[in-house]
Amino acid sequence: MRIFQNLNIDFLGKRTIFYFISATLILLGFINILTRGLHLGIDFKGGTEIALQFEKPVDITQIRNDVNKLGLGGVEAKTFGSSNDILLRTDLQEIPANIIPKVKSKIESIISNTFPGLQRRIADSTSTTITIKFPDSRTADILNNKLFEAGFQTSKAIDDTANASVIVRLTISDLLKENLSAMYKSNPFIVLKEDKVGPKVGQELKRDAVIAVMLSLVVILIYISFRFKFTFAIGAVAALFHDVLITLGLFTFLYGLIPGLNLEFSITVVAAFLTLIGYSMNDTVVVFDRVREHLKLHKTLSLEENMNKAINRTFSRTIITGLATLFSVIVLIIFGGEVLRGFAFALFIGMITGTYSSIFVASAFVLEYANRTHKKIEF
Amino acid sequence: MKELRFRIIMIAGAIALCLYLLYPTYKDYQNNKEVTAQLEGLQQSIKKSSPSLANAQIKDIIASKKDSILTNNPDYRSAREKRIKLGLDLQGGMYLVMEVNTAKLLEKLARDPDDQFKQALKSSEAELKDSDENVVSILARKMKQQNIRMSRYFGSIREDDDAITSKLLQQESDAVTRAIEIISNRVNQYGVSEPSIQKQGSRRIVIELPGIAREEEAKRLLQGSALLEFKLVKDADFAIPIMNQIDQALAGKTEKDSASAKKDDASKTDTTKKDQKLTDEQFAKEHPFFAVARLLDPQGRIADAYVKESDKSKINAFLENPEVKKVVPDNIEFIYDQRPEMDPDGEKYYRMYMVNKEASLTGGVIVDAQSNIDPTTSAPIVNMQMNTEGSRDWAQITGSNINKRCAIVLDGVVYSAPNIIGKIPSGNSQITGSANLDEAKLLEIVLKAGALPAPIEILEQRTVGPSLGQDSISQGFNSAWISYLLVALFMAFYYKKAGTFADLALVLTILLSLGVLAAFQATLTLPGIAGIVLTMGMAVDANVLIFERIREELATGKTPKAAVDAGFKISFSAIFDSNITTLLTGIILYQFGSGPVQGFALTLIIGIVTSLFSQLILVRIIFDFILAKGYKINVG
Repeated sequence: MRIFQNLNIDFLGKRTIFYFISATLILLGFINILTRGLHLGIDFKGGTEIALQFEKPVDITQIRNDVNKLGLGGVEAKTFGSSNDILLRTDLQEIPANIIPKVKSKIESIISNTFPGLQRRIADSTSTTITIKFPDSRTADILNNKLFEAGFQTSKAIDDTANASVIVRLTISDLLKENLSAMYKSNPFIVLKEDKVGPKVGQELKRDAVIAVMLSLVVILIYISFRFKFTFAIGAVAALFHDVLITLGLFTFLYGLIPGLNLEFSITVVAAFLTLIGYSMNDTVVVFDRVREHLKLHKTLSLEENMNKAINRTFSRTIITGLATLFSVIVLIIFGGEVLRGFAFALFIGMITGTYSSIFVASAFVLEYANRTHKKIEF
Repeated sequence: MKELRFRIIMIAGAIALCLYLLYPTYKDYQNNKEVTAQLEGLQQSIKKSSPSLANAQIKDIIASKKDSILTNNPDYRSAREKRIKLGLDLQGGMYLVMEVNTAKLLEKLARDPDDQFKQALKSSEAELKDSDENVVSILARKMKQQNIRMSRYFGSIREDDDAITSKLLQQESDAVTRAIEIISNRVNQYGVSEPSIQKQGSRRIVIELPGIAREEEAKRLLQGSALLEFKLVKDADFAIPIMNQIDQALAGKTEKDSASAKKDDASKTDTTKKDQKLTDEQFAKEHPFFAVARLLDPQGRIADAYVKESDKSKINAFLENPEVKKVVPDNIEFIYDQRPEMDPDGEKYYRMYMVNKEASLTGGVIVDAQSNIDPTTSAPIVNMQMNTEGSRDWAQITGSNINKRCAIVLDGVVYSAPNIIGKIPSGNSQITGSANLDEAKLLEIVLKAGALPAPIEILEQRTVGPSLGQDSISQGFNSAWISYLLVALFMAFYYKKAGTFADLALVLTILLSLGVLAAFQATLTLPGIAGIVLTMGMAVDANVLIFERIREELATGKTPKAAVDAGFKISFSAIFDSNITTLLTGIILYQFGSGPVQGFALTLIIGIVTSLFSQLILVRIIFDFILAKGYKINVG
């Protein structure tokens, strides 16, 4: 079967149309990012995320209300795949000061229920830990276990020589789980996954992600200048910037618009961006290779004519490979599960933009740059 | 034809090698099925015994049970060790990044910290948030600016600031080492399979604990600072009779027999001699306890016993036996040595001690510990200092227990059990008997765990439950074959016969990719599976390029053979350049990412290489074979 045989389209002659389309998309993306912001996941922002699977389907609005009742503020609740699964997320690093008394009274009541009227003293209390001193080490051991069973993270304090102090660690995820399991006694849940990222790590990951994307662009710039010409490298990298910006814009634009699709910026999405850079480059290089070949063969033809020929000749391959890859990506979106969906969707947009750019803009950028600098390109 | 044969043999060899490398993975999968079948009944029985548990919770319990059977049972272990490793996101588990809180450590180390010091430390801490510098050096700089000498708070007066700074950095690094030791100790106790605990940079620890199914277990691992205790080891006179009673109770001899059992105690040596004549099986039947816990000293002068690693659970079960509980006093317990000893067959044995349940002293009293070489005997020693309170108790303990042993126990595991030679009045004790300086250093680390609880903070914690992991595996698997089916059908439809060659090459690509993963013991993660799925789509690219080129060449009127030759030859530069760029971004991704993302980069890189191999070589062989046989070629 042949679809695109003897194609002869003047792609480069119409390049202003594609510039317009690309510029509009990029601009819309920018406006969208400026107004709605980039929705960073906890990988970059820091925070806590828990995915829970309930035994029976749960109502997400109900969960949202229940979680809000805790007064933590800023806890998002979303569905996570099926109707039994929910995802809770918050940027909070520690339990807010106004909730701590509540948690403390809960701890107190556990102690009182175990040993009514027990002598105890809160030795130390910070936003993340409470240290309680008990009369002797045996009681401390028992309460250590009791509190642990109640869902708190506890340990014996080492710096107490009498070995009778218990440290209770206060974490957001424990607070959420403990309260939800009390509220949903008849519909118990298990923890599918739980992620906690500190603000420091988030900062570092952000920096690393930017470095990785920039580094890959530089490496490609060097490689293409080495294998082709510097002019080609400039065009290729400009096309990559174009792809990354459009994908970024569309990705943020679609955030929250498609139900059941969780489009926030996580590390795997950055991985998708790097893959898109690799893929789009792959596509562009195939066209450039053909341009190089034609430039050697038809020395009398202009660069523009040779480029048009090359794009037309490789068009079929570009579309076929693009389709095959797109099949895989769509399969990932549908069957790959909740964890991969954002990643696969970023790739989906990226593959389309990457294919588009290697046909319509990458060569145009090279031509533009060559015209501006009045360089004759020869191989 | 001869040259063709060589290439066919090469491909066949590669396939055979991959199948060989993948066999353990297949075997492990079969074992998994087998164990699942074995555990079928368990679900029902758990449900009956504890109806309050949710289905999902039961599923988690069974998953963890299955995991422990597959990793611990020797029949299954070898396959499990050689299979393709699964990442934490697929088998469930926990990933942690921890960091020593140096500021807190400095506060603990400082001599009489005043407000000025606290102020300086606080501002250094604030500065740390947006700098890569170390707290120690920031603090040193701040102190210099304010004309305060470091020696006012640290070290001795004679030392200059630089010397003190480097000492403090050493303390920091020691704190990391200590934390690693404490965590490894706990991880070993929980029997986590294939744990990984690594130091990253100067003060970070990255911990990967696969298969921790139960959240509580994981939390226990991380809870607070370590507990260091000194526990007196029971004498043989006391311990052996109790062990005999346990043995008898287990052998099913009732209370009435206890008189004869007592007689046995008296003539313990005789029994052992007599028992030697019994076969192992009979011995195990008559002395179930001693069959598992082999006494170190047959004369019975000390009551330590060796227990095989796999038998530890048996001992625990024995001690839970109600008959045994009757004979074991409730103020003693059995604990194991931290390090196993290997017998020639590579079987691990742990030394088991009977100790007082209650600690005589806890590690909080230790002020400092130093490992050293004794100048006179040149044997490794560890010096330990205690505070005044501790010294008083220690003097009493050592005074009344001369010639007894005192176990140094960290988180319930014995690190050393030195003999008390005499009363130690000052709290300055010297521990000898370490086999080498490394062992002494380890003991120093352990003792310091009491003096300086390493202030460790969790920077990042990611936990994946086993059920999500299971789901991810099946979703990844489904995506892979559906993707294959779609791409394969598409290629066959568009390029006819040649398309099916590409489909064959795709099968080889996948096989080779998995083979390479297994060969390098690389870890397969969920994004890694995504990488394989994506490879399916991208891997046909080289063939698409070649087929399109062959079509073009045929259209210019070339003979099939010339067209095929030209197709492969001319496309090569495009294939090469385009794949190199993808490869380069793949490598950058691998460098940048951690865990799951690295898994993706890895499968992507492997996929590029293997797909080039199969598309350029396998498809070429098929074309050459067809041309040599004189069949018609068909590129759609």
